[in-house]
Amino acid sequence: MSLECLLYWTLTTTMVMLSALLWTPALGAILLVLVSGRNSRLIRIVANLFSLAALLLACLLLVQFDANDTALQFSEFYPLNPKLGSAYALGVDGLSMPMLVLATLLTCISLLASFSLSDSIKGYHISVLLLEFGMLGVFMAQDWALFYIFWEVTLIPLFFLIDRWGGKRRHAASLNFVLYTMGGSVFMLLSLLAISQYDLENQGSLMASMGQAAQNMPEVEQVLVLLGFLIGFGVKMPIFPLHGWLPLAHVEAPSPISILLSGILLKMGAYGLLRCVVMLPVAAKLIQPLLVFLALFGMIYGGLLAWRQRDLKAMVAYSSLSHMGVVLLGIASLNETGFTGAILQMTAHGLIAGALFLLVGLLYERTHTRNIQDYSSLVQVMPRFATLTTLTLLAAMGLPGSVGFIAELHTLIGGFQQWGGLMVFFSLSILISAAYAMRTIGLLFTGPVKPQMRDIADLKSLELMASGVLVGGIVLFGLLPAPLIELSTATVGKMLLVMGERRLP
Amino acid sequence: MAAYATLIPLFPLLAALLIGGLHFCRIIDGEAGEKTTARLALTAIGLSVLTALGLLIADLSGLLPDSVSYGAWLRSGTLTVDYTLATGGFNLVLASLFSLLLLVAIRFSVNYLHREAGFHRFFFILNLFAAAMLLLVLSGNAVFTFIAWEIAGVCSYWLIAYAYDRPIAAHNATRVFVTNRIGDGGFILAICLALAWLENADWQTINLSAADLEPGDATLLALSFAVAAFAKSAQIPFTPWLARAMEGPTPSSAIFYGGAMIHAGVFLIIQLEPLFMQAPLAMSLLTVIGALTAIYSYWVGLSQTDIKSSQIFATSAQLGLMFAECGLGFWTLAAWHLCAHAVVRCYLLLTAPSILHNTHGQPIQPVAPALANCRWAFIASLQRGWLEPAMDWLLVKPVLRLAKDVRYIDEHIVDKALGAPAPAIRAVSSLAQWEEQKMGANLDSQEDSFAQGSGLAGKLAQWTAALLNWFEYHFILRGIGRDSIRFGRRLGQAANRFEQLLLQPRYLALFVLITLMVALGYR
Repeated sequence: MSLECLLYWTLTTTMVMLSALLWTPALGAILLVLVSGRNSRLIRIVANLFSLAALLLACLLLVQFDANDTALQFSEFYPLNPKLGSAYALGVDGLSMPMLVLATLLTCISLLASFSLSDSIKGYHISVLLLEFGMLGVFMAQDWALFYIFWEVTLIPLFFLIDRWGGKRRHAASLNFVLYTMGGSVFMLLSLLAISQYDLENQGSLMASMGQAAQNMPEVEQVLVLLGFLIGFGVKMPIFPLHGWLPLAHVEAPSPISILLSGILLKMGAYGLLRCVVMLPVAAKLIQPLLVFLALFGMIYGGLLAWRQRDLKAMVAYSSLSHMGVVLLGIASLNETGFTGAILQMTAHGLIAGALFLLVGLLYERTHTRNIQDYSSLVQVMPRFATLTTLTLLAAMGLPGSVGFIAELHTLIGGFQQWGGLMVFFSLSILISAAYAMRTIGLLFTGPVKPQMRDIADLKSLELMASGVLVGGIVLFGLLPAPLIELSTATVGKMLLVMGERRLP
Repeated sequence: MAAYATLIPLFPLLAALLIGGLHFCRIIDGEAGEKTTARLALTAIGLSVLTALGLLIADLSGLLPDSVSYGAWLRSGTLTVDYTLATGGFNLVLASLFSLLLLVAIRFSVNYLHREAGFHRFFFILNLFAAAMLLLVLSGNAVFTFIAWEIAGVCSYWLIAYAYDRPIAAHNATRVFVTNRIGDGGFILAICLALAWLENADWQTINLSAADLEPGDATLLALSFAVAAFAKSAQIPFTPWLARAMEGPTPSSAIFYGGAMIHAGVFLIIQLEPLFMQAPLAMSLLTVIGALTAIYSYWVGLSQTDIKSSQIFATSAQLGLMFAECGLGFWTLAAWHLCAHAVVRCYLLLTAPSILHNTHGQPIQPVAPALANCRWAFIASLQRGWLEPAMDWLLVKPVLRLAKDVRYIDEHIVDKALGAPAPAIRAVSSLAQWEEQKMGANLDSQEDSFAQGSGLAGKLAQWTAALLNWFEYHFILRGIGRDSIRFGRRLGQAANRFEQLLLQPRYLALFVLITLMVALGYR
């Protein structure tokens, strides 16, 4: 193929690149419907193939993505409902690009981790692919109506995944999860409707035009609307008092689903909240004290509770609460460094929590216990597992050289610029996270050899590959963070510019 | 073309990473993998030799520039650290020589370590060392020389403790490493001084601007580098570490302490010739220390009975001579001495295990009678000049005593206020202890020590965590969580009831009626 031909091909494909990526998992799910449920080999091959195709498409997108361009890229626009003004509008910027790659990567990894599953595989794989479809849609949608649809789309497969393949208390967990999220969504929908009341020229529900419409609202209403969004997204993120579904859902969900749940689903909340804060800067400035209180309190709260958990999965779940507090803090700081820190922490936590749930799940498969105190001296029998887990736990406590450090440092600096000495609570929460991470390393890998922990197989090559990719990413971006930061620098700059304009009377 | 110089250390580094990575993934393991490991290591170092020799020929025909820069590694304010390699003269000569010696040593090890436990580990470390050593002699910047210097030091630590299950080996390795760290202190100080005064740590810059420095500054800079060199090349008072370093496998001893690493100190001094020429005090110190070490090592060497020890004291004596030559200004002589000694000593140490076989029937020459009858001198020689006890008394003991005092404060004041990390207090160290705990002989069993803190801060954290846990359980998990489900169910039941009502004929009729009325009303 000549160069010109290639160029032409690239130009034409960029028009539908996002749709191609979005619909790949959906197509896979539809194909799976046709496959017989007994042919488990074929089901696995098809599902993995399609998730891999999605990952490759996302990587292709990443290569073609221009980090210096502040505008939306690969945009697509087809009006859906002209009367309401809603449209099938997709687009990617520096905020959603890393999330797309993370979502496709973690889906691939969670499918790799599902090889040991043997119970009604067909439904499981269809649900996972549909979940990926929904997640990708959330990160691509540039229209609030479309965003809301995809937001709800993720809920259904996830409900079935937890309710069908979960642990002992799976029914309570799935119901609880759905009720919480639906409850939050109602507030989100109310806020969206409230904003659309002010859409005088009736330009529809595009994110850009809704952002303009929000400027016409009185301040009090802006604050109320932002609080509605805070509840809607805060449930997903989760923010301190709204996290009741999280420990149960994370513990009861099958391990591969926990990877997706904490790796990407939580990021959807942070992603939405960040977009809303940019949309309503005046209100954000007004409720900034509330946000910082929730962030710091949530961080310490999650950390202390993680410290008390004997169940490994529950510990990781509460540590997620603590780490997502860092994202909220970054958003609340409303400055460039803080936003960068929040976006970095979203990626960092995706990798770290994904790796932790994966490794804990693999360990559980072998020993069928999640109580930390049952383990001892695993380094003797599974050195590769020990290496990877130790690296991940060290990254979770923000050790320099891991991507967690880069993210926490940015957030800390951003927070310090905004509040100064208040950041001592941030340091306290890092200290707490160090306490439980180090204790976990100590209890799992050192101590006397217990007889029942003698014959555990180390990671197999496929498992090593899956966890190695995540841990490799954690270390690589910790040592060379520049490409990751540059990916969203331009977008963060534009966000702050927009916020600055909107804050003017 | 000069840019290819970076390949010289890169090949062994890649080999080290490959061997380490494959061994980590258990792809090469045990005796079956020995061939792969050996082939990897030999190919890498072979390619390095070829590259080095090729560049050396090019340099001798005058085709190469003095140095080649690959861009900035660190840039902060006015301070820049470039990744540059020196591709001229002595650096390239040494790179070729060392890579050849490394090739010989690695080939020797393939047979020597056959079927040893830790074969792959050994080759991983040796390749890493090869990369470090070649970077050390080629680097055009003090920072990169230091990085290589440290990696070489760590490799030496790992290989001395090769049989890490033997306490003596582990202890000696630690002792050697810590002694070398004193020299590293000098090196770091020198780099900081160079960065502060010259805003650059390129060897060229340091040498060129040495003349512009004030004499006192130049002397301090030279002395700092001299301390680093003394420690690395085992000069007085650091000499005893060299004898302790003989714990490792023979080929590693040969290449570390006969061929390559031990000469790093002299190389550093020769590299900094213009700087030392500006610092007469440092020059005289070099002479004095070098001469002292030579005499000391000769004297101690006389009474050594095993082959490795006598070789090693001969090494430090020769190194002392090299330092003295540098101090007296015979730089070229020192350089030639270094190269010649590297070759000879590497050979001698490699053949050390078979020396008895080779010298069969040739008795060792006795010491001259005049010396042999001097009793106090004999004792001094046997005791190795009491150098190590003296250093212990001078440095180690005061530090230990200080540590003891600080520990007292730590245990009695700081720990009580802040709490000690739990594993340090409660961790079981033996199976017996663990069983004792399981039987309940120990009052604070493991069950209770989970999520417990000690000291003021620890207790505070524990109580806060307990309080938050109570809150979480009662208000969030139970309160909102269960109530939300209960509420949802009740809502569902209500909706169900409503629907059932609606489906009953009388309500259906009523509903239709109402609809009709509303429709009529709108008309």
